[in-house]
Amino acid sequence: MKFRDLIKISTTALKANKSRSALTILGIVIGVAAVIIMMALGGGAQNLIVGQVTATGSNNIYIEPGSFDPSEHSGGGGYESAIEEMTIKTLKIEDAEAIEKDPLIDKAAPYTFGVARVVYRGEDEKITFYGTTGDANDIDDVYPVLGRSITEDDVKSMSRIAVLGYKIKDDLFGEEDPIGKKIRIKNVSFRVVGVMEEQGTQMFQNLDEIIYIPVTTAQKLLLGADHVQWIIARAVNDDVVPQAVRVIRLILREQHGIYNPEGDLSKDDFKVMSQVEAADMLNQITGVLTAFLSSVAAIALIVGGIGIMNIMLVSVTERTREIGLRKAMGARNKDILNQFLFESIALTVSGGFVGFIIGALVSFASSIALSSVLNTDWKFIMPIESVILAFGVAVLVGLVFGIYPARKASKLSPIEALRHE
Amino acid sequence: MIEVKNLRKEYSNDHVKTIALDGVSFNIDKGDFVAIMGPSGSGKSTLMHIMGYLDRPSSGTCRFEGQSIDELDDDQLAFVRNEKMGFVFQFFNLLARTNVFDNVKLPLIYSNIPEKEKDKRVLEAIDSVGLSHRKSHTPNQLSGGEQQRVAIARAIVNHPSLIFADEPTGNLDSKSGQQIMEILQDLNDKGHTIILVTHEKYTSEMAERVISLKDGRIVSDSKVAHRRIAKNGLFK
Repeated sequence: MKFRDLIKISTTALKANKSRSALTILGIVIGVAAVIIMMALGGGAQNLIVGQVTATGSNNIYIEPGSFDPSEHSGGGGYESAIEEMTIKTLKIEDAEAIEKDPLIDKAAPYTFGVARVVYRGEDEKITFYGTTGDANDIDDVYPVLGRSITEDDVKSMSRIAVLGYKIKDDLFGEEDPIGKKIRIKNVSFRVVGVMEEQGTQMFQNLDEIIYIPVTTAQKLLLGADHVQWIIARAVNDDVVPQAVRVIRLILREQHGIYNPEGDLSKDDFKVMSQVEAADMLNQITGVLTAFLSSVAAIALIVGGIGIMNIMLVSVTERTREIGLRKAMGARNKDILNQFLFESIALTVSGGFVGFIIGALVSFASSIALSSVLNTDWKFIMPIESVILAFGVAVLVGLVFGIYPARKASKLSPIEALRHE
Repeated sequence: MIEVKNLRKEYSNDHVKTIALDGVSFNIDKGDFVAIMGPSGSGKSTLMHIMGYLDRPSSGTCRFEGQSIDELDDDQLAFVRNEKMGFVFQFFNLLARTNVFDNVKLPLIYSNIPEKEKDKRVLEAIDSVGLSHRKSHTPNQLSGGEQQRVAIARAIVNHPSLIFADEPTGNLDSKSGQQIMEILQDLNDKGHTIILVTHEKYTSEMAERVISLKDGRIVSDSKVAHRRIAKNGLFK
């Protein structure tokens, strides 16, 4: 039996029941589309993370409160550690200063943050403020477009000055020149000295909606605390990052009076992680999440496959006489098996094709939507693996769920089949 | 060509045993035109199915060209049906939604002859039943007689030595039926062996020899004294 004959027979049979064929493949369409969308979004998220690592510089090192417990990696520890970070108050501005003194470190900036209401004349907005130093500019590689940044003197003298994120300036002042104007944050009066350049969204935080104030001012006047939430240090170059991470640990142990000669990370009250490590971890998390969501989506494929099997069984019964006739005309069992198997694969592959198109369109639309909603460059990623997967899975589903009806058809005795009414 | 000896066929349905054939023996020579006649339930269809390699006997032997059905597996039987036999059924059994050309071609898609040769044979077969002008039509666009002629074209497209016709006129008006019989007699004249299954005495007399069955046994096996010839839709 020629392949061309197979195609002809199958298309005739599938066309004979157009609406039934279309409904049958719906399950496969949805399944394949869902898997494609999950994989595309996962790929986009990973691309975003990797892109932001390279944007912010790979020689940054993050220092956060809390201990590093390796068992957290196996899951379940994330929530606890988030609470821990909020309650441990041992990280201080002096730690950042001590770290910055090391020759491997270029800059180190302490950060603290809070949420507060900011008022300028009638305008009133809830914002996030960062308390930090002027070094933050160099670490993030972003600078004021208007006025100046936070200086060392501001930090020392606890000045009540503020540098506005680009969007905050727009929201509060519009076209007005904000420099020298007074705003109130949590009822404390601040003088605007600068406006940051536009930065967009990073790690799901819109950096244009932040107000920067001196870290000391933030601690004393707005938060009533003397610890910081995190420190970002920048190594002098990429190559010394691992070495710098070790040095920072030693410095902080000394600062915090932790005796830990064997370097057991769970004894520390801080975590040190390089930008690259942090990105790796996020990458891993998104990877696992993508795999998980894709496999949930794949359940639709199994359900779709059962639908295919169901319809193929109906088709075999309906076409019993045809099977008998073909056998009488000299079709071997194998020919009948191939015919029905090919039909179910034709169904699933066309379902896979439609699902792929829909999945690609939806992924493309959501990459555009996410880009504008998150104010970031969310790329449309369609990995070749997902194309192969979509069609491979479609063929596989057709084979697996088509084999039973096809075998049933091929085993029919020609006489029984011809007599069938 | 066909050698049937002590053929028995039993069916058991829900523990009730039915004997369809009970010790049937006869020979058919090459070039014969044999009618198998009998009322319904006499076992004539069962006999045709076994001779046509569509079914296996319970006991006894059936040889076609010297080869017993017991010596062949299902695929080999399919091969013999495909190469050497043609079937015409009472209910035409054409594929709906498939045009005349592809219906006639059906046996050839399961054979190994070259594609060009296939198309040539299909056109020849359609031409020989006088339906060249209908080859792109689907069965539901044809009359009953035309459909049966398509079925005959399909039966002869593989150049079989043996043609089975199971009540070929049973579903046709008398004029179409005569046309079909004319074609069958013509094929017999050209050397095809034909086995005709019918319950009508009238139709059976168009064969050269009639084997009558009743309750699975042969009641008579004789030459037709006054053979009817169907020609131009008329009986002579």
